[in-house]
Amino acid sequence: MTREQPTSAPMKHLPLAHMVLLLGLAILLALPLLSGGNDYILQVFTHALLLAILALAWNILAISGSISLGHAAFFGVGAYTSGLLSLESGVSPWATIPLAGFAAAVIALGVWLFCRRLRGAYFALATLAFVEIPRVLTDNWDGLTRGSLGLVGLPGLPALRFGSHYFDIGASSVGSYYFVLVYGLLLLAIVTLILRSNLGLALQAIREEETAAASLGIQVQGYRLLALLLSASLSGITGACYAHLVRYIEPGMVYGLHFSATPVIFAICGGRFTIVGPALAALLLYPLDQFVFHPLLPAGHEFLYGAVIILAILFLPSGFWGQLRKGQFVSIKTGSIE
Amino acid sequence: MSLLRLEALSKRFGEHWALKEIDFDLEEGEIVGLVGPNGAGKTTLFNLITGRHKPSSGRVWFEGKDITFYRPHEIQRYGISRTFQSSRPFARMRVLENVVVGRIFSGKFHLFPHTEDTNMARQLLELVGLAHKEDALAGELTLSERRRLDLARALATEPKLLLLDEVVAGFSPLAVKQAAELVQRARERGVTLFIVDHFMSLSLTVSDRLLALDHGEKIAEGKPQEVMRNRKVIRAYLGTRHDDEAQSAER
Repeated sequence: MTREQPTSAPMKHLPLAHMVLLLGLAILLALPLLSGGNDYILQVFTHALLLAILALAWNILAISGSISLGHAAFFGVGAYTSGLLSLESGVSPWATIPLAGFAAAVIALGVWLFCRRLRGAYFALATLAFVEIPRVLTDNWDGLTRGSLGLVGLPGLPALRFGSHYFDIGASSVGSYYFVLVYGLLLLAIVTLILRSNLGLALQAIREEETAAASLGIQVQGYRLLALLLSASLSGITGACYAHLVRYIEPGMVYGLHFSATPVIFAICGGRFTIVGPALAALLLYPLDQFVFHPLLPAGHEFLYGAVIILAILFLPSGFWGQLRKGQFVSIKTGSIE
Repeated sequence: MSLLRLEALSKRFGEHWALKEIDFDLEEGEIVGLVGPNGAGKTTLFNLITGRHKPSSGRVWFEGKDITFYRPHEIQRYGISRTFQSSRPFARMRVLENVVVGRIFSGKFHLFPHTEDTNMARQLLELVGLAHKEDALAGELTLSERRRLDLARALATEPKLLLLDEVVAGFSPLAVKQAAELVQRARERGVTLFIVDHFMSLSLTVSDRLLALDHGEKIAEGKPQEVMRNRKVIRAYLGTRHDDEAQSAER
């Protein structure tokens, strides 16, 4: 047997995939230079990065087979939790952002309470409906949330100081952009670690065949809950970062379809059985939408998203990144993570 | 003490009794065939043992412990694994990963797969003759390959008792012979086997004993040749001879 030479089909696709990733990373790192100081370009890519991060977090749950159409619930609760706490108490956003993750996890427990027996389309529809609960509460509980007026003048992200180095985040587009980029890379590392571990293996097994997974000793409901909590809290933290970067939020915005639907669109297009596919799709499609389709069709530019979903489902059911990686997701070669 | 003891095990689906008062003991190291025509309750019995369904009454004992109301993953941890009638591979995962899953979660949890996990998985793939397919997606395997993957995956959990549900259905005579060798090798690894086998093509050759069910009731148990000669078993499989009709009318 050729045990010593475990090079086979998937290896052939790695160099190309790695080259694409490195090129993408280089472009992202150099973007403030490439954009020639154009703030609009940087702002669009900052938002694209946030959507990419949200898609990464969303995919932790999707990897386990539960498609959520209501991640705006976690995003919005995170944004409001951190926004309100920092606004009311004057505490630094660095302290309130982690609490946003905690609040989103609490909301996720609520989702779990009602939806834990649901699978597939039923789970998806229930999450779609569930978003309305925090949205309506935020919209109408004026005394706590300031209602539909939203939160104005949120504190921006304070500068970070490392020894003599001083990173100004909130004050410039470049600062915000690099902050989100670093946050995104950090989250990518975390998500990669989670999904390449045995936890990721369990989540995939549950997605593929729940009954068989249980018969092999996997505690199905425990892992499904864990995936939901991880995904929700990371989405909440992302929502909080968004709130402090934009410094203005309102219920219709942070609980809106934009943050519920885009992770699904990006995952389908990029490849929902892969780690980076959804994030890559976000970084390609959102700028494409903003720079090309928005000027062309101001009223209906979002038709782009509908079109790419149809095209992806018809021609690339495993997404463009999934196609490139031939469905490979977790790779166990020699017992270590790849 | 027997390894597995079924005590007056019954399961009712609505008005229909899928299993009625089944008593049976399985000893360590045995290979027992579970036979009976369609709808006899064979798979239901497996589902009760593995916790997928809860019995309407009765008890399941494993190594002296009452496991009747344990959940599937808990029962697995006590040492009972199974394969499924319709093979259930993790289709969009690689063949090797399928087996590694069986290895990792049955034991003590560790966060990253160890080299020994993959090595053991490879050995099992070798055992079932799938070593050359370890990088294929499980969904791309043929029926016979899937069943062998199911077997490797279940063996990876290092079970004390392995329930095989129709592993050879649709197999050619040659494939059945190979499966029989696999079952013998599993026994050599110290596994006790309980095999559902509608057509008895496998269980007649490998079983020490047979348990025959019909319409949810135990109709015979004992040595394969005795069970095969049992009138009730013959009647369940082949229907009634003319001179038997009076008797069957009583049932």
